Amino acid sequence: MTKPFLIIGGGPAGLAAAHSLASVGQKVVLVEKENKLGGAPILSGYAKLVPSGEWAKDAIGAMVDRVVGNPNITIKTGATVVEFSGEPGTFTAKLSTGDAIDNSASILCTGFTHFDSVNKPEWGFGTFPDVVSTTQVEQMISSGQGVRRPSNGEKPKRVAILLCVGSRDRQIGREWCSKICCTVSAKMAMEIREELPDCHVYIYYMDIRTFGLYEEIYWKSQEEQKVKYIKARIAEVTSDGDKVIVKGEDTLVKRPITIPFDLVVHAIGMDPNVDNMLISSVFGIDLHHWGFLKQENTYGVMGATSRPGVYVAGSATGPETIDDSIAQGNAAAMSALAAVVGQSMAAE
Amino acid sequence: MPIHEKNLIRPENISTHDNLVMDGVDVSGDWSTFIKTRVVADYNEELQDEIAALPGGEYIHRCWQCGSCTNSCTINAINPDFNPRYWIYLIRMGFESELVRDKDLIWQCVSCNKCTSACPRDVVPEAVMKATAHWLERKGYTKKSSSTVFDEVFSEQVIERGKIEDGEVVMSFFNRTGQKLTQPWLIEMVKRMIKGLPVQMLTMMGLATVFKPKTRNWGPARDAINDYIEEQEALLDEKLGPSVPYKAPEPAPTQIPAE
Ligand SMILES: Cc1cc2nc3c(=O)[nH]c(=O)nc-3n(C[C@H](O)[C@H](O)[C@H](O)COP(=O)(O)OP(=O)(O)OC[C@H]3O[C@@H](n4cnc5c(N)ncnc54)[C@H](O)[C@@H]3O)c2cc1C
Ligand code: SF4
Ligand code: SF4
Ligand code: SF4
Repeated sequence: MTKPFLIIGGGPAGLAAAHSLASVGQKVVLVEKENKLGGAPILSGYAKLVPSGEWAKDAIGAMVDRVVGNPNITIKTGATVVEFSGEPGTFTAKLSTGDAIDNSASILCTGFTHFDSVNKPEWGFGTFPDVVSTTQVEQMISSGQGVRRPSNGEKPKRVAILLCVGSRDRQIGREWCSKICCTVSAKMAMEIREELPDCHVYIYYMDIRTFGLYEEIYWKSQEEQKVKYIKARIAEVTSDGDKVIVKGEDTLVKRPITIPFDLVVHAIGMDPNVDNMLISSVFGIDLHHWGFLKQENTYGVMGATSRPGVYVAGSATGPETIDDSIAQGNAAAMSALAAVVGQSMAAE
Repeated sequence: MPIHEKNLIRPENISTHDNLVMDGVDVSGDWSTFIKTRVVADYNEELQDEIAALPGGEYIHRCWQCGSCTNSCTINAINPDFNPRYWIYLIRMGFESELVRDKDLIWQCVSCNKCTSACPRDVVPEAVMKATAHWLERKGYTKKSSSTVFDEVFSEQVIERGKIEDGEVVMSFFNRTGQKLTQPWLIEMVKRMIKGLPVQMLTMMGLATVFKPKTRNWGPARDAINDYIEEQEALLDEKLGPSVPYKAPEPAPTQIPAE
């Protein structure tokens, strides 16, 4: 009998990996740092997801439920791995709770950390109450409260969404594209227009990256909801005490813009998990030069890290969508299973 | 791109037809883009490489036209026509004639580097502005700016002697830029210096003006620096062609109003 599989992180990737291994009769131990499963969509209270349009609590909630009820899966919440030793097939992980988990292979599904907009002080987050992040707007929508100005609770009449906040920016050492924020912003703009038809929504962009089928969301936002797109990266956000004032250059018409808004939304990017340095040293695996967990190869074994028997999936590897994180969770599970089964067959 | 088309509707590109009939329809009047050819033949495809060859222009190719430099710019806030993003675009596209139209604006950059800290791609727009200003000088489109003259006076002295003598720098600079030494503020400054500085220091300064002291064993360093400069100049000559001296434009002929 092989030892259980250890999965670290209970977001979409980890939930998918745990479920697929349990489905083929394997024992799984799922370790999650927070006290709740579901990862970013649940912990940060996302509203409707792209591209399905399903509510996060329903879609990801269902993934949590089928894992929680599964007899093959042991769940350890409020726990992290503090020591990891051994060889493929016979690893031991020591948890922060004191438990020791023998395991045959591990899959790191530790996800990402939201970019903290206070690191871009010129854009007013943390200074003006009516400058918020996409996660805050997701929460306004998912809580049923609706999109309101935090300063006075009023419905905004003009909203600006600034793209690439914390992404594609050498000044703050973040050169990657966070992949999902264009699409999420286009979706969010539509949700705002649906709730508040009199509210004008502007999206300030450098490029629009609604890749693949997501292009439909971009088109719909313009064609059905009349969301306005302005090619400009904003210089600064100030305030006159009531409105938040966005200053920039409309690059297409070569004209300065200084426009008052009721609400400014930062489309925040996906940073490497703040735990990654620790994870890298505990598990003895390499990091990508941007700080994500490094995949050893792209075309051979899906999800392999620099240490045999330790795999990685989802947004731990770099900015990912939920559906791709799930696919990677399943793929890493298959890689781990193949290696462990192969090893035990060879031993017989 | 709309910014491109603007040149077609400038007054000099509008043609007036007193008597124009097309397909039997009288369309006399002022015409611009309809009549003028839209083909732009004067692209200088080397322009980006030329700017990149000058110190500070190295990263111009990184620009993705986000506008952060322009919208954070000190001078743009006063004069919206001062637009680093736009000039970088013109340079990258090789639209030399358009760039040269703004030759009397580009050097106005005050090197505050607000653009540099805003640029997400580390183009260092401030340095690109400097490179562009030097390019304009080198190509003879603009007069040598005072700051270039100052740099020359200063570095000539340093290279020659390994030291500078302030008084001499100021005098040569004033001399080469055609400014009088008898300016009231300068006289006042010298007066106060004489009053305020210790006698020993003033004596040393006075002696230095006469004897032009050198750093000890400076010769080899000077030769090495001169070799390096020569090398760099040769590289620039190769990439940009030799410097063209500035020629003031012919004064526009006085218009005689038609009877
Ligand atoms: C504002 C916003 C909106 C988004 N909307 C969408 C959308 O509509 N559609 C879409 O496809 N994608 C969306 N995304 C992207 C989506 O959030 C990610 O694709 C998804 O969360 C990735 O899943 P994951 O399991 O890889 O990581 P995560 O969801 O980050 O889950 C990682 C889990 O690991 C846990 N963990 C972290 N470190 C440790 C540790 N050291 N030990 C143990 N556990 C740990 C975390 O607590 C978390 O539960 C959005 C992203 C943002 C920022
Ligand atoms: S997905 Fe869009 S908003 Fe997000 S980093 Fe990429 S380009 Fe910027
Ligand atoms: S350095 Fe020059 S171009 Fe840059 S912001 Fe200052 S004035 Fe503008
Ligand atoms: S800020 Fe940088 S990338 Fe943006 S337009 Fe200016 S030079 Fe180009």
